[in-house]
Amino acid sequence: MLVLGIPDPQIWIGYGLAIGFTLACIVYGILNWDKGGGTSGS
Amino acid sequence: MAVDTVTMAALVAVYLVLTFIIAYYAYRKTKSPEDYLVAGRSSHPAVIALSYGATFISTSAIIGFGGQAANLGMGLIWLTVLNIGVGILLAFVFFGKKTREIGQRLSAVTFPDLMCKIYRSPLLQYISGFIIVISMPLYTAAILIGGARFIEPTLGISYTTALVIFAVITAVYVIFGGLIAVMYTDAFQGTIMFVGMTVLLVLTYLVVGGVTAGNAALTNMADLVPAALGAQGMTGWTSMPALGSPIWFTLLTTIVLGVGIGVLAQPQLVVRFMTAKDDKSLNRAVLVGGIFILMMTGVAFTVGALSNVYFYEHAGTIAIDAAGGNVDAVIPLFINEAMPDIFVALFMLTLLAAAMSTLSSLYHAMGTALICDLWGRGRECALSLRNHQAGIIVMMVLSTALAFALPVSIIARATAMFMGLCAAAFLPAFAVGIYAKRPSTKAAIASMVSGAVVWFLWTGFVHTAEAKPLGICQALFGVPSLLPLPWSVIDPLVIALPVSLVVMVALQNHYGNNRAPEAAVPAG
Repeated sequence: MLVLGIPDPQIWIGYGLAIGFTLACIVYGILNWDKGGGTSGS
Repeated sequence: MAVDTVTMAALVAVYLVLTFIIAYYAYRKTKSPEDYLVAGRSSHPAVIALSYGATFISTSAIIGFGGQAANLGMGLIWLTVLNIGVGILLAFVFFGKKTREIGQRLSAVTFPDLMCKIYRSPLLQYISGFIIVISMPLYTAAILIGGARFIEPTLGISYTTALVIFAVITAVYVIFGGLIAVMYTDAFQGTIMFVGMTVLLVLTYLVVGGVTAGNAALTNMADLVPAALGAQGMTGWTSMPALGSPIWFTLLTTIVLGVGIGVLAQPQLVVRFMTAKDDKSLNRAVLVGGIFILMMTGVAFTVGALSNVYFYEHAGTIAIDAAGGNVDAVIPLFINEAMPDIFVALFMLTLLAAAMSTLSSLYHAMGTALICDLWGRGRECALSLRNHQAGIIVMMVLSTALAFALPVSIIARATAMFMGLCAAAFLPAFAVGIYAKRPSTKAAIASMVSGAVVWFLWTGFVHTAEAKPLGICQALFGVPSLLPLPWSVIDPLVIALPVSLVVMVALQNHYGNNRAPEAAVPAG
């Protein structure tokens, strides 16, 4: 299956995961934006 | 080059003036040893994220590994997966918060100091500091070489002059401004890098005819893979190498795992966590860090691979041949030939920013390791600003001398070596140290020493990429490597890290429960 001109699933899955982890970072940052404000232990 | 030297020199001058204004502001904010060593433990989330990312991403990632993508294809995207998943998410969420909390509680100011105070062992501080002082100059020298190789043609000065000027200018603001200056300038330089790499991605896909068309054109070039690479397992630029082939092992073990995991235990990055005021700062930094890393390595690897399409359509050859066989020359050549003049100038600043942001952090980490952790450990002078400034100067001179002595094409290799050694020596002891209720000092020392020793032995006697140029194995045993394929292409990290981990876990289970509950050693 071709995805954006790339035939090997090992490559386009890699791109998908890279973008997916970036989205996970964004979601994590937003959900925890105001959490952990104390300077003591987590 | 496309942009004349005078214009480029003017742009670099403006960039340097802005950098020094920021550094001067940081210098004025630096009042105490804690400011100088851990930026007062009150850094802004965006500064933490950009400083972490800009320190992590150097010219090596953009030029060295981008060139590797031109040679080996888009399989390098798996390094980006680890860069973000491990280097940002795992690092900040699971390592960063505990490191910040423990570092603040124990008043740790460097990575070796943190290890010492967690394990209540000055010996661990000496071992960690020693590993940093002997290994980090190699990575620093590689960054210096990369920067000087770019400055030489850009400003039309000799390589020697470029290297010395680059080393001294960067050292000046580190020496006076400490970690606050390093992090603030990192954030400025990281912003330039983000803009430069974003524009590069857009322009590259415009040049090759769009996303799908460009990728498809690269797919259709599979039959142009050089015979030598094909024999070693390469199947094309949009497909992974054949499973178990030499190139597959190199791609997965040296490039993806070596650099992808190595990031977790790099002393100059771990210190960034200790500069955060609270967990909220780290949570916010995750958002910025993920996007930043995607736009650094993800773009470099994609553009590197796609440069083959451009060179084939315009010169009838693949990228590595267009660059005369020099992997490190592919990205600069592609930028100069395919991009508009104004972007050539912007990209040159991007490279300078990438090199300076990493270099400044390495100077700071090496200088503080030398003074705080080795020379002055346990003495009042360990926190002296003047002594740290002297330490940075000493390590700058050593790294510069090493840069003159190293061979060509060392940038990506030296990066992977440094990160691999850091992971093998530090990662298990660091992870157990911040999470175990009663971490065992004996386990940490044994893990650190075994990881480093196995890494050095595998590097010197098995892994052909290093063992052959080093020549020790050849001199002693008459062969370049003691073991046959595939062992000779498996990166030292893949062997040394499991050894270090097994030693840590086994001894932690044996000794960990026999130790008194945690109590920090006195500072200094």
